[in-house]
Amino acid sequence: MIWEVFRQEKAGGYHAHCGNVHAPDREMARQFAAIQHGRRKPTNSLWVVPREEIGEIGADEVAFGGTTDKIYRWATAYNTTAGDASEVVESEDEQATAERRRGDDR
Amino acid sequence: MWRSSAKGESVPIYNDMDLDAIEERAGPRAFSPADELPREYREAATRMIEFHANSEIMGAYLERPFIRQAPSIDRKLAFSAKTQDEIGHAQLLYRAAETLGVKSREEMLDDLANGDGKFLNCFHYPLESWVEVPMISFFVDGAAMRRQATLRRTSWEPYAHAMDKVCFEEGFHVKHGEDILTELMTGSRKERRLTQAAFEEWWPRIIQFFGPTDDDSTHHDFAAAVGLKQQSNDELRDAFLDQYIPKARKHGLEIPDEPRIRERDDGTYAVEEDDLDWDEFFTIAKNEYEPGVGQIDERKRAREAVGWVRDALEDDAVAADGTAPQAAD
Amino acid sequence: MSFEDPDDLEEREREALETLLKRLGDDEFVLAERYTEWQVRAPTLESDLALANVAQDELGHARLWYDVLGDLDFEERDLVYERDPGDFRHSTLVELPFPEGDWADAVLRSYLYDSAEELRFDALVDSSHPKIADRVEKIRQEETYHLEHARNWLERLAAGEDGRQRLQDALDRLFPHALTLFEPADEETEAAVVDLGLRDATLEELGEAWLSTVVPSLESLDLEVPVETRTDEEDALVVTAATLPEERGRDGTHTDAWVDLHDELTHTYRELEREAPTKLMGDRE
Repeated sequence: MIWEVFRQEKAGGYHAHCGNVHAPDREMARQFAAIQHGRRKPTNSLWVVPREEIGEIGADEVAFGGTTDKIYRWATAYNTTAGDASEVVESEDEQATAERRRGDDR
Repeated sequence: MWRSSAKGESVPIYNDMDLDAIEERAGPRAFSPADELPREYREAATRMIEFHANSEIMGAYLERPFIRQAPSIDRKLAFSAKTQDEIGHAQLLYRAAETLGVKSREEMLDDLANGDGKFLNCFHYPLESWVEVPMISFFVDGAAMRRQATLRRTSWEPYAHAMDKVCFEEGFHVKHGEDILTELMTGSRKERRLTQAAFEEWWPRIIQFFGPTDDDSTHHDFAAAVGLKQQSNDELRDAFLDQYIPKARKHGLEIPDEPRIRERDDGTYAVEEDDLDWDEFFTIAKNEYEPGVGQIDERKRAREAVGWVRDALEDDAVAADGTAPQAAD
Repeated sequence: MSFEDPDDLEEREREALETLLKRLGDDEFVLAERYTEWQVRAPTLESDLALANVAQDELGHARLWYDVLGDLDFEERDLVYERDPGDFRHSTLVELPFPEGDWADAVLRSYLYDSAEELRFDALVDSSHPKIADRVEKIRQEETYHLEHARNWLERLAAGEDGRQRLQDALDRLFPHALTLFEPADEETEAAVVDLGLRDATLEELGEAWLSTVVPSLESLDLEVPVETRTDEEDALVVTAATLPEERGRDGTHTDAWVDLHDELTHTYRELEREAPTKLMGDRE
């Protein structure tokens, strides 16, 4: 049985997928994962999940965020006065980065 | 913010040992579901996140008629997207609250429906006209963002993670709100006049967003001590005023004479608390303010009307689990 | 014949193009408007998000079709905010209000509509109008999600007795209106749409193909389709005892619900005495 492993580097961070282990049950999977995936990289916590329990949906099945223009969802679409509050500026920056990475900023 | 549940509710008695340990460790994102936390922490965090989640729902509920009434297709799209985001935020927040093990999402949504769930003061007022929309979409959302930005450092990790996504999305809401305000304040005389009138009506409520001064805020000390809250009501309110008073003026809005606003020597602002209607605020906080009661009840009716779908999904899930006879296809 | 240059069109071409685009745009616009009624009122938070997304997709599609109408000098003001409700050409299926809490209606309506939409787009993908062909390509991917979403719900609701009964009630109410999806605005113009290669199937052909898809599929869920059908010589299903509603949408006749809806959605525009709807998005296609 295959178990997918997600590692959190330090407290407060996100668990990100880092690999898997073969193991007969959850207890053994936890033990194996601790060694295989926690022994070198900084680790605060691991999640161990049966592979067959993971559902997946890919970009070939669904157009994430759609295929038509959805510019209205982005802060970058609105020109407002200068002097935005810092948290608004920060959000807009994050959105601009996400748009670039999605390829939506054309 | 937590004055709402103050009346008739005693401050929890906590185990000092536990609390000391919690306070010592209480940094940003310090606690996760893997930690064994005292009941007092879990209850305080649940109350805070549930309030936040409820507010997303009730804010969206208040604004939803304006998806239809928006004066252009683009505005309609933006408004639909914004309302969608808010339901998405509620989804994230209820889950962050559920991870504390005190209440399930269904329980929280039921409590909101039957009038026990608490939510933001501003969403108890009726929103009747497009000129009022930026009062929520710009000022209240701006205030919310100010607060949410500080909550990315809250001590409950799932809450902080929810805030990461919420803050990411929210910038569009505030900018869209400001765009609507700009359009109104550069529009016809009628539009400017109506918008100013709406601002005068909403301004005191917006200031009360941050709740009473810290001296009167029952839950503040505990929430701050255990790192749930990162800034006090007063700090947040002052920061909001410093940012948004100049903004309002830049858009040509006149700040009403009441509540009195003091400009300090360093150019920052403070509000005269006594000029605000705290009786109304605390009536609202008890879910007893009339328009708010109507809004809660209307939403309850809408929720009950689709209860049958939730039941059907549950039956399906049981069937798929093999614990009930296979449903016919 | 080419639709490359909008200034170069003959009257017959203009009329056919206008009719086709109004059918497309109005259907999407009004359906989206109805879908948004579910925002903050759907059965669960997740289903709320999903249907809101469908609404935005459809509204975005309306915007794309209306934008092509811009070539014929129609602006948003003429197409929505200052338009006579009797000039709209959408099917009555999309204008009916949802009875409170009737998620079965929303699911079934989406299924009936999106099944028709899939066929309609198949017939538009090789359109002689380059902008139409181009846009269909983009829109189709989103419509695929809509149809799957509707089918998923349909199957789950039909699996239980209560859900199946509610679906049946919705089907009885909606099906005659769904048939108006294939009604002509007027025969001559509809013939021109096909003649000019704007769409490569007639409404009749689309209607038959649709019946052949949805009727067996609904029957497999133990639902009874409330019209009599027979199989014609080419093995296609056709309606024999068509019970079309009095108002057919396509010809400009509508239910009162549409007039009320149009009144609500233009409320702010009129209240503030606006002269043009606000644009946020340029044409980026």
